Amino acid sequence: MDKNEKQYSGGKKYKNDDITVYWKPSACVHASYCYRELIEVFDPSRRPWVDMNGSTTEKIIEVVNLCPTEALAWKWNDDEKNKSVGADQCNHIKFRRPELMDITDPVNEEQPVSVKVMIDGPIVLKGYFTLDYSGNTKVVKDNIISICRCGASDHQPFCDGRHRKVGFNG
Amino acid sequence: MDNISGMEQKKEISSQARVEIIDFGPIKITGNFVLKDMKRDKEESVKEVLLCRCGNSANKPFCDDSHKK
Repeated sequence: MDKNEKQYSGGKKYKNDDITVYWKPSACVHASYCYRELIEVFDPSRRPWVDMNGSTTEKIIEVVNLCPTEALAWKWNDDEKNKSVGADQCNHIKFRRPELMDITDPVNEEQPVSVKVMIDGPIVLKGYFTLDYSGNTKVVKDNIISICRCGASDHQPFCDGRHRKVGFNG
Repeated sequence: MDNISGMEQKKEISSQARVEIIDFGPIKITGNFVLKDMKRDKEESVKEVLLCRCGNSANKPFCDDSHKK
């Protein structure tokens, strides 16, 4: 196993000098943005499938931000930068899955549901809530879902990352 | 493909809020939740909110019935 590829809470980490990319396979819905946009870094046929030397930090951040689920997330290796630089971006781990940064720390059932309206992106819901859509009623338990806000997703009502392509401003 | 792993087909047990995707309309959220608008840097606790899903609202993130036009 690559020395940068360490187990953490059921997922993996990949590092370069600037950032760590977090990969949680169980959350992947195969929207495929990562390898379509940056096969040099995200190549599912390779092991390890993430090669942090394949592109620049800027480009890797851009593509990780396309991931519509929490399957891919990132943070700066310099914790000071995590407090400000890029902290508004959708897949910055501070906002996506802070509990993945070290140990698993599930959301308390009593906590209010977190509803985040992402910048030019989806509505990200996190916590314990009941979801009604298209005649289905489901209970979401300590999980994250992203709801499309731009109207362009091919996977309604969920976000599939298309807001980037259509240049959604909202 | 199910996009919502971790869900179970159960009625409310410890659910803090109800999230309703209205067909051809907004998302309605009621109950115990905190709404954080990252772009406009606002945070509020309200009991009910209707958020735009069509992308056309002039009052984002809220629904202004633009989807009906």
